[in-house]
Amino acid sequence: MFGSPLNPLVYLVRNAAKSVPMVGVIALAVMLIAWIVALMNSIPDSVKAVYSYSQYSLGVTPRGDPAMTPKLVETFRNECPVPIERIIVCRGSSAVVRSIVGEWPFVVLAFNQDDMDYFLDKHFVTGIEGRKPTVGRPEALISEPVARNLRLKIGDVLLGPDKSDDYSPQEVRIVGIAKTSEWMMLTDLEYHKANHFPPIDVFLVLAKDRATQAELDDWALERFKGDRAKLFAYRELEESTNEMFATLYQILNVVIVTLVAVIALMIGMLMNIYQSQRLVEFGLLQCIGYARKVLLKRSLKEALWVTVAGWASGVLIAHAMLRIAYAVLMEPRAWALNTMDPKAFAYTLVVPVAIFAVGSFTVLNRFRKFDPVSIVERRLV
Amino acid sequence: MIQSLQASLVYEDHGKEIRACDAIDLEIRPGEFVGILGPSGSGKSSLLYLLSGLKNPTFGAVLFEGRDLGQMADDERSRLRMEAFGFVFQQPYLLGYLSALENVMLADPSRNLRQRALELLDLLGLSEKTGRLPHELSGGERQRVCVARALASRPRVIFADEPTAALDHANGVQVVQLLDAHRGDGALVMVTHDPTMLEGSDRIVHLAEGTIHGEETRQM
Repeated sequence: MFGSPLNPLVYLVRNAAKSVPMVGVIALAVMLIAWIVALMNSIPDSVKAVYSYSQYSLGVTPRGDPAMTPKLVETFRNECPVPIERIIVCRGSSAVVRSIVGEWPFVVLAFNQDDMDYFLDKHFVTGIEGRKPTVGRPEALISEPVARNLRLKIGDVLLGPDKSDDYSPQEVRIVGIAKTSEWMMLTDLEYHKANHFPPIDVFLVLAKDRATQAELDDWALERFKGDRAKLFAYRELEESTNEMFATLYQILNVVIVTLVAVIALMIGMLMNIYQSQRLVEFGLLQCIGYARKVLLKRSLKEALWVTVAGWASGVLIAHAMLRIAYAVLMEPRAWALNTMDPKAFAYTLVVPVAIFAVGSFTVLNRFRKFDPVSIVERRLV
Repeated sequence: MIQSLQASLVYEDHGKEIRACDAIDLEIRPGEFVGILGPSGSGKSSLLYLLSGLKNPTFGAVLFEGRDLGQMADDERSRLRMEAFGFVFQQPYLLGYLSALENVMLADPSRNLRQRALELLDLLGLSEKTGRLPHELSGGERQRVCVARALASRPRVIFADEPTAALDHANGVQVVQLLDAHRGDGALVMVTHDPTMLEGSDRIVHLAEGTIHGEETRQM
């Protein structure tokens, strides 16, 4: 099956009681690292998913003076070098969504009917289960991810007087669920104006597509720097999210390096034990004419097979476990988790590299000091 | 074919100089069966390791067909041991995870020895046990597999280091007879402390305290 009796796989397969545990330890280490990184990444990914709608619009609120809004809108209309598709003047109130690390703030946007239609179309809504909110009524339309996240269905209360984080003086019930992957909570502008405080008009500036929206955002961030306007751009969200997690990733790196060092040393010790158990084999083979470098190469190939098999198994197990975690934990709450996260799997590459390096050092060290005659003379057995 | 020219093997043991072999002059000729006889500690095995290139002489030289084994690189000396020499050791050393047949085929991985290995195992009475692992064989059977491995590449010299030490007398005699019978044109150099094992030898070299104390030519 393997050709030569000294094919490295012959030893590994026929000594499965020794090789499988080593493969298993490596696989577990790889799985653990992939898991930690993928779950860590799910947090910023979830941030970006929750606020993804802001890729298609720039939110602007006046600062200090509600009367600034029309002036700001005019500035956009007159000065913006990027073609503006639409400016939606609206109102907003706060709500919360649930994340893997607790509650996050979210905005309930209040639109007139025409702007709502445009907004839904702009955010890839393919249909609505139920209907849109009626003018002047305490009704809300939410998207599917929001419904899953908050476990809400049509008829449930989205905002209400008893909810401190999702406050509205009247119970705002859900009348429709929009079919889209974007997160959104929408109510009717008339209801909002009549019931919510403070009475400040805000607005969204929308470009034709994502690319031009990014250009528009960049221009606006520069133009309104120091001005009496607060801008909510997706780029800023991305930057602050990345910044927020930078320190966490540094800590993660230390944890992973420590974990890899421990695993590599452990595997090195295991390899040392296994090499010791095979001294008779190496001694015999060297005596009957196998050159030291041939045996060394064979041992290194065995170490390589073990590490590659361990890494590959770990990646497969990690992927399977991440899929299970996504199906059981994440997807029902609409949390993001990339089961094929390239960064998570890239982090695991250090495991086989470190283990192979330590394993090779162990093998080289063994062979350097090894005298085959001591075996056939029975001095070492 | 093999010449030991004033070859000495000296090492230190706890600060004391030990002369395992002391200025040994010996020649092994093609096809002859040479027995090296002596009591324990006389330097028999050390002499065998010098003659086979497993150890380098501290002084003097060992030549194989005019080439100094001590001057060869590890690769070259290893290749020579694999291609020209066969070995049988005191203990029947086999790789535990390989079958009897695979163990015999280890003699030279660069050649397809499968057919030759099967023939040898058949000649040595192991045709039914070619697929057995070493732990499924008796001590005598294991040593016969080692004999087959030593013969597989048709070596020019077979070195046997007390090959009967771990066997009962009957099995020991059988192993020596098998080595002698199937070595073809190859020389056989056998170390033993049991003179009855050398009945078929052409020459016996008597060793004591690391030096040759006499040679006895038996038959030619």
